[in-house]
Order: sequence, then C-alpha cells, then structure tokens
Amino acid sequence: MKKAIGLALAVLVTSVVAASAQASHRVAVASTAINCNSKLTIAFVTPLTGGAGFLGNEQGSWAKYAVKTLAPKMGLKIKLVFGDTPVEQGPAIAQSLAQKFVANKNVVGILGPSTSGAVAASTQTYFQAGLAHISPSATRTDLTKTVAGKLEGTPAFFRVVPGDYIQGPSDAHFMINNLHVHKVVILDFQEPYSLGLADAVEATLKAAGVSTTRLSAPNTTTDYSAYVTKVPGDADIVFFPTQKPGDAQTFAQQLLEQGKKAKVFGGDGSNDASQFKVPGSYVSNFAPDITGIAADKGLIAGWKKDNPGKAVGSFGPPSYGAAQVLMSAIKKACVANHGVLKSRRDVLRQVKKVRINNWILGGTFRWSTKSNDPLNAKFYIFQIQSNGSYKLVG
Amino acid sequence: MSDSTPHGSQIPAEGPAVGQDEWVARHAERRLLRQGPLGQLQERLSRVPWWASLVLFVAALSLLPAVESSGYVRRVAFDTVLYMLLALGLNVVVGWGGLLDLGYVAFYGIGAYAYALLDSDKFGVHFPTIVSVPLVVVIGAVVGFLLGLPSRRLTGDYLAIVTLFFLQLFQTLMTNGDSAFGHNLTGGPNGILNVDPFHLFGHSLVVQHQGVFSVSYYYVAIAFFVLVFVALRFVNRSRTGRAWRSLREDPLAAESMGMPVNWLKLMSFSFGAATAAFTGTLFAALNASVFPLTFYFVLLITVYTMVILGGSGSQAGVVAGALIISPLLEMLRDTDKSRVIFYVALVGGVALAFRFSRLLGIVAGATLAFGFAVHEVARAFDHSWVAGEKASGFPGVTAHWVVVPAKLATWIPPTTYIGLIAATLVLTMVRGRLRLVLLVPTLYLAAFVWENVMLAKPEPARFIILGLILIALMILRPNGLLGERRVEIV
Amino acid sequence: MDTFIQLTVDALTLGSVYALIALGYTLVYGVLKLLNFAHGDVFMVGSFIGYGALQLLGGTSSPNVPTWALLTLITLAAMAGCAVLGVAIERFAYRPLRDAPRIAPLISALGVSFFLANSMQLLFGATPRNYDTFSLSNGALYFKGFDIGNVRVPLLRIITVCAAFALMIALWFLVNRTRTGKAMRATSFDREAAAMMGIDIDRVIVFTFVLGSALAGAAGVMFALRVPTQVSIGFIAGLKGFTAAVIGGIGSIPGAMAGGLILGFAESYTQGYISTKWSDLVVFSILIGFMIFRPQGLLGRADIRKV
Repeated sequence: MKKAIGLALAVLVTSVVAASAQASHRVAVASTAINCNSKLTIAFVTPLTGGAGFLGNEQGSWAKYAVKTLAPKMGLKIKLVFGDTPVEQGPAIAQSLAQKFVANKNVVGILGPSTSGAVAASTQTYFQAGLAHISPSATRTDLTKTVAGKLEGTPAFFRVVPGDYIQGPSDAHFMINNLHVHKVVILDFQEPYSLGLADAVEATLKAAGVSTTRLSAPNTTTDYSAYVTKVPGDADIVFFPTQKPGDAQTFAQQLLEQGKKAKVFGGDGSNDASQFKVPGSYVSNFAPDITGIAADKGLIAGWKKDNPGKAVGSFGPPSYGAAQVLMSAIKKACVANHGVLKSRRDVLRQVKKVRINNWILGGTFRWSTKSNDPLNAKFYIFQIQSNGSYKLVG
Repeated sequence: MSDSTPHGSQIPAEGPAVGQDEWVARHAERRLLRQGPLGQLQERLSRVPWWASLVLFVAALSLLPAVESSGYVRRVAFDTVLYMLLALGLNVVVGWGGLLDLGYVAFYGIGAYAYALLDSDKFGVHFPTIVSVPLVVVIGAVVGFLLGLPSRRLTGDYLAIVTLFFLQLFQTLMTNGDSAFGHNLTGGPNGILNVDPFHLFGHSLVVQHQGVFSVSYYYVAIAFFVLVFVALRFVNRSRTGRAWRSLREDPLAAESMGMPVNWLKLMSFSFGAATAAFTGTLFAALNASVFPLTFYFVLLITVYTMVILGGSGSQAGVVAGALIISPLLEMLRDTDKSRVIFYVALVGGVALAFRFSRLLGIVAGATLAFGFAVHEVARAFDHSWVAGEKASGFPGVTAHWVVVPAKLATWIPPTTYIGLIAATLVLTMVRGRLRLVLLVPTLYLAAFVWENVMLAKPEPARFIILGLILIALMILRPNGLLGERRVEIV
Repeated sequence: MDTFIQLTVDALTLGSVYALIALGYTLVYGVLKLLNFAHGDVFMVGSFIGYGALQLLGGTSSPNVPTWALLTLITLAAMAGCAVLGVAIERFAYRPLRDAPRIAPLISALGVSFFLANSMQLLFGATPRNYDTFSLSNGALYFKGFDIGNVRVPLLRIITVCAAFALMIALWFLVNRTRTGKAMRATSFDREAAAMMGIDIDRVIVFTFVLGSALAGAAGVMFALRVPTQVSIGFIAGLKGFTAAVIGGIGSIPGAMAGGLILGFAESYTQGYISTKWSDLVVFSILIGFMIFRPQGLLGRADIRKV
C-alpha cells in the first residue's frame, strides 16, 4: 500500500512537472525587444463562466471577430488569449491573472478587465508593467475620474464606453425631464457596478427634488417578492441596475403581479431583448442598436456568419471597438519604432493617439483630453415596446 | 509526523532459532519493518529527524526563484506557501482536534480584513507591521475562541453547521459592511483597497516591481511557514497535543479521564484561527486589497481537499497536500497544461491500477486500438468530425486518437458527460472480465469528454476535479497520503 | 395592512418551498444521521430538469398540452429525475461510508455538492433559466386569483402552496400509515435493532433518499415557476432548508414542515419590516440561537447518546 502511495505521488509529481515543462515561462520580463513581424499576443480578461458568463462570451466572440478581420488589414499577426474572472469569486482572481499576463513577454496589450471590480484589483499591476488595458464595459466612475478624493484607475487604464458619471445623471435627467417622475425606488446589488450607478442616479434625482427610496439586495438574490412589496404603490420608476437581464424581467413581472404601477428602468447591464421584454420598461445603453447603423452592415453580416444563431447584443460591439483601438495602437507603435517594439510601454504611449473613423458604435471615436474616456460619449435610452422590441426614446 | 513506527532493532544474524524468547518477542516489530532495497531506503528516511527534513524542504523552496525568474511562477509559489499555512492551521482543528470546522476561511478573512483596517487609508491608521501582525493574530485567536464558546456542547454534525453559518455570517457582514448604521466599515463588495505593504527592518517591502511579483514576499511567506510549522509542532508534542489526540479518538473517554474537553476544543479553535489570521495579513499586504468574495465556499473546499489529501493529523502530510493541489489547480486553468495533466494522470492511474501486470498491457493496447479505430471511422464518415481546434503542445499521438469535432452539437456535452459518469458508476458495480471490457470504452469516453467538454470551460472543470478528489479520497483512502488510519469508537 | 397581507402571502409561498427541502434533510438525517449537504444541489437540478421538460413540451408560450397537464408533467419529471439522482448519490457517495467515522460522509457530501454545482455549470452555463410562467395562458396564473382586501393573491401562489401541502400530507400518510413508513421510522430510531428485526436497511435507505430527493425536485419546480433558476441557488437553498429542518427539530417530519413555515415567515417579515439587507443575518441568528439553547429544535427529540 505504501508503494501505491509512492507511485501515486510520483504520478502526480510527474504530471505536474511535465505540464510545467510544456509551456516555458522561463523568460524574464526584462525589456526584450519584440519584433512586429512575430506573433503578438493580446489577452482578454473577462468573466467567461459564472453568473456574468454570458457577458464574457459575447464580448469574446466580437473580439475574436475583430482580431480575425482587422489584424491582417493592419499587417499584424495577433493571437487572442482569454483570462476568466467569474464574478462569484470576487475581483481577487483578476490579480493572479494579471501576474500571468505580465510574465508572458509576448503579451503587448490587454483587453478588459470587463468588470469594474477586476479593474480596481489589477490595474496597478498592469500600470507598473506598462501594459495598456482597454476595457469595453467597466463603467465605474472612479476608475478614470477622481471621486471623493480617490482615483482607483491608473494612466494605463482606458475604456471605450462612457462611465457611470454619464450614465447615472443621463438616466436621471431622462426620468426627470421626459418621464416627469415624483417618486423613484433605487435598487443596488451590493457589488461595484450597481453601487456606483445607483449612487450616481440617486444623487442627481435628490438634487432635483425627486423623492427617492433606496433598497439593497444581495447579489445572490433571485426572488424579489419582498422588494416588490416595498415598492410604494405610487412610485413611478424602479431603477434596477442589474447585470442579469433575467432578474429585470422577473422584477417587472412581479411588479405586475402585485399590481404596482412602477416601471423598471434598467442600466446597460440589463440590455438583452431576449431576456428582458416586459413592455413599458426602460433600458439605457452606451450604444444605439448597431443594426441601425448603415456602415456596420457588412461587419454584422460577417459576425453573424461566424456565430450562427446568436443575436447581436449590446456588450459585444464595444469589445470589437476596444480590440480595434488596441490593435491600432500596436500598429502605430510598430510604425513609430520601425518594426521593433522596445517594450510594452511603446504601445501604451500610442493608445491616446488613436482615432477611428466609422466607429462601430457610430460616428468617430476620439479620446477625451481630460481622462481616459471617450470624448463626447452619451448614453441612449430605449423603451420596450409591446412586441418586445427596443425603441430609442432618448 | 507520526511517532508510531518503531525503530528497527538488531535482528540476530544466525536466523530463526526456535525457543529463543527474544526472537519471538521481537517478531511483531520485524513484521512492521519494510523489506527490500526500497523498503530499507524508506526506513532510513523515516529516521531522519524532522528538523532536517524541514530545513531541506525550506532550502528547496528558497532556491525556486533562482531557477525560475518568471513573476507568474513565483506568484504561484507564493500562493502555494499561503495554502500550506492555511492547511497547517486547518490541520490543528480537524486533524488534531477532530472538529469539523467549516467556517475556517472566515478567520482567514478576518485576519486579512483586520490587517487592512489597521494598515490602510480606510480609517487613516497605519500601524507598523511589527505591531499590526501580532495584533491581528491575537484578534484571530480571540474570535476563534468566541466561536468555540457556543460550540462546546455541539457534536460533529451540528458543529459543522454552526461553523458553516458563521462563514455565511462573515460573508454577509463584510458584504453589507459598507452601510452598517450609516458608516462604511468594510467597503462592502468593493472591498478595501490600497492596503499598506509590510514594513520590515526599516524599509517597506515592495509588492511588485514593474508589475512583476517581488520575491521578497515569497521569502517572508517561507519565514512565516517555518515559524508556524515549528510552533505547531511543539504544541502538538506537548501535553495539549496529547490531550487533543485523545479527544479526537474518543471524546467521551477523554472526558471520563478528567480532561478539560471544552477547554481543549476552544484551544484548537483558537490555534487554527490564529494561524489563519496570520496568513491573512500576508495575503492582504501582498494583494494590497481585500474583497469579501475571496473568503467563501470555494476556498474552504480547496483547503479541505489539501488537508484530506495530505492526511489530516500529519503536518508533513497537509503540506504535501497543499504542494500538490495548489499548482495543480493553477495549471488546470490553462488548456494546454490541463491536457497534459489529464493524459499523464490517465496513464498513471491505469498503471497504478494494474501494477505493471500483463493486464496493463492488454488494457493499454486495447484502449489505443479502440481509439484509433473510432477516430478513423469518424474521419471516414465526415471530415469535420475530427477537424476540431487543437492547441499546440500535444501534437501527434492524440491528434489521431481522440475525436475532436469542429463544431459540437449542443446535445453532445451533457449526454457524453452524464454517460461518462454513468459508465464510471457501472464500472464500480461489475467485476472481473466485464469490468475490463467496459474499461476500454470508458477510458476513451473520458478522453473525449475531457478534450471537448471540460477543456472548453477550465474554471468549473478544475473544481469538478477537486470535488471528485474529495469524494474519491473519502471512499478509498480517508487518511490521505500521510495520515494515520483512524478507527472511530462509537 | 396591505403590506402585512402581501408579506404573509410571500411568507407562505416561500415557507412551503423551504418545508419541502427541509423534509428531505430530515428524512435522510433520520435514517442515516447524515447531513446531506448535496440536497440543495439536488433541488437546483430539479428546477433544471423541470425547465428541460418544459422545453420538450413546447415551452410556455406555445405548449402542447393544457396548462394543468403541463405543470403536473414537469413536476413529475423533476421528481423522477431527482429521485434517480438521489439514489445514485446514496449508492456511490454514502453507502461505502456507512460505517466510517461520522466526519467522512459529511466531507463526502461536501464533495458531492461541489461536484454537482460545478457540473451543472459546466454543462449548462450560468445563465438563469426562466420558465416564463407569465406567458402561460396569457398571464392567467399571475392575474387571476382572489383578493384579500386590496391585495390580490395570484393563482400561481395558491397552486404552489396547495401542491406543497398536498405533498406533505401524502408524505405524512406514507410515513405514518404504511408498512414502509413504519420500517423507515424503525430504522431512524435504531438502525441495528431494525436490521435485527428483519428490515432490509439498504432498501429503506434507498427509499428514503427517493422520497427526499423527489420532494426536493418538486420544490425546485415550484420555486422556478416564480423565479428564474440558476446554478448558484443550490447552496443557499440548501442552507435555508437545513435551517428550517433544524429549527423544527431534525428527525421530525412535522418539525420540518413547521420549521419551513417559520423560516419563511421570519425571512419575509424581516425583509419587509426591518431591512432587506439583514434578513439573512436574522435568519442565521435564529438558527444559531436554536442550536445553542435548544439543539433538538421545536419538535425534535433530545439526542441521548448511549455509551
């Protein structure tokens, strides 16, 4: 029996050693030049499994499409790898992934992290390593703007979508000016995204004199009956910044069940026509429906061919955009350094200089001069029609 | 480190001499001696003093950064040392005290949060490390003691539940702590950021240099490990340790012998909690942040698997358990490496099961032939059935052996997965020839499921492996690798 | 007053689901003295099986059978599927450990729970599955019902509560009025003596698992009819069901029913009147209080350990 233990140990150790010998990470990250003709790696840090897995998978498919179509046009050979940050395990997992990608000398840029919490946890590491990280969906305000004296982002963090400091007030102003609300219930889910958005909306509404009630639900809540009960009968809107469209649907249905007149107003996280379709509800998003943009027709058709049976969501196109920006920055760095990148910082330096016409989300893409956010970004508000489609209303 | 193996004594060289009392008297000892050259080697090894093994082990660990300069590998090594510390602490509660503490990682979290609160911008206090770390250890011990208080009268199952609820309580408190009576105490789900690094001997330990993990924390972790290992060993060899052992084996008898059973339980809770809190400070300082979700069920199961695999009750065992599981988990995250691990484990497992007999050759050959045959048939049917993506790293053999379709129909993963589970369960029920015959397609199915289903989603896949290891361990070898076989007297 | 009525309706619905889960725990603990941590995940698998059955029958927007048949069929499918799962778990994870130290099956149960939850996540992903009961008969289940004062009690909730009670009554009948039930009670009282009396212990234990898991499956469907189900609900549901079983007195069937209802009321009223954030805390505090001051729960027997 002891021999069996010895054998078992030997087997385990062998497999561990064999596997670690497989991929050689033996090279230090010290500045070794990277030839632009070799295969450059981009890592996408996003939740691929877990409660927000649908987000990561959607973003991943668009990023893959971008790499596949745009990289050859730019004369680059790009390999896209993924790092999985399931939301159930908290942001700490993003830190070990950051270490992994920093140590890989072929990685010249990072897409993501997609969740605000993961950005906060890993941005220092990327910044110190000089790796540009461009997120398509981390919208927490304090990642690019100082809030209450604290800035949690770093100069290496960029995002191609506007932050909650735009979404919050813009949603609130829509409610005040277009919907003429008197009483609003605001919910948060005790995680970074919803907290930031809920706070922003609450502040703007309060300043305008609207009566607000704030509720807080644990992230694991599935049954909102008790919260629905707490919605006053005369409330106009329930602001519901969830990242799970299915929960928005449930909440709206339970409101109807209890005969409450309030309508659900979701943030960009609830944007999914296949899951959230109770008529009369509102959804805000950082992009209009790109199927309505003429310049994107070919792009959408190509993506659909690669992803049969999947619908064009709202989280995917910004990932395409982020990948486009990153690859453009890499290209600029290669040109500026005559085909040999001295270090990743070369790419980082070029990011802010990127400008893209025919931006996938419409118009031209330009960086704001004051922060690492897009210039003149705005949020769009949709209302769900009786047939379940989303109509642009603001 | 078990004391139960007797030291070999001189065997009379003349051989058995019937009637000699001494020879008869020593018969039992001789039976326990290991035979053969491998056995003699093991005998020699077991006589090596524990501190020598420890020194050698620590030396090997410390040499790692010299061999590997990748920040990532060093970071994984650091995490492994942290897990070793956690495993040592859990060993005190489960292995020595015999108490099933399912709230153990809450103490880890308490240590991390306490350090974060004492050494960050949260409340503006910045205690020197030399003050805050011992303070956190004391806090951990006190909380462990307090948790132990209501649990004194509870038996095994109930204790497990109460501690599990304590974990849930901790999680809820930390997550909602950002609006406790209007004050932001714990940062809620956003956690506490910008936690100070350690300040030792004058200068602060830089956590990362240009994004690469700084090796100084690794050495601090090793120092912590040595400290805890030695301290716990001395505790175990003392009266308290002996009392714990008797408490674990038979609480009722221990109580009737007059041992302060309640006090002993509290002590083991305290020690375990203190160790976890100690580790927590290191974790918080390195990551410069703490989030509530880190200290939850997944971490609990991971540490438990390490302790059970290594052998609860044996310090060397749990360290070995951590050494195996931690890098394994990390490597299973990467598709290429997990593929290699799977095949090595498959081949190794089969070799272990058949122990270099003729059957091994038969089974291996049959599986290979079966696989090639299926692959060729599938290819003949439709090229796209075998045209799936294969990452670099294991070309050649497996490319022609396993069927990896280009596009997987949605009904295939659930059906094959459940089919594999059913096949494995059936294998445990049949015997003899039938079992061998069924083994071949089952092995092939396992390879298919691994390649197509589990590699697609490494995160849940690695936890599935963890759960399976736990179940298999409990059924096949509950005392793990280096633990002692226990008999519960009911 | 309206809030009170609404909260009470919520409490009853919630409580009956918890009671069904608690019954599973109590039954298994009774015969095996084992806390089946995997029970919550069986509940979760039940809700997924119900979803699958629903899709097979055409989904809620265009079902192939009338509403009442649809609901009955998916519940039966879930109960059957979970019963099979429960038997498999017992056979392969608990039976080999029947004579092992008490700690062993507990840890094995933890492993099974972990394995189940992650397997479901691997196979079906973490997206919530919505039964979309709303589309059934154009929302009839939501809009039709009877009124208490200003509060409308929808048909769906009435069906859920009645079905749960029906199952509980059927179980009570089974355990107290049939021979198999008598065998179960004997085994839970003293396993060795029952074996000596000629009762086939293995059969009884398997039967217990079948019952417990089937109830969990039914609870899963009832839960998912109102709220989208996802892979992560197993853990919390298990904890809550377990709390209910302990409050009522583990090992006692009426206790589990009572415990489930009490828990439902406690949770609902706390969420409604105190705060939604701390409702979990209140529930756990109640449990810890019970465990410290009255470990046998409300209706359980004080455990007398024979030396």
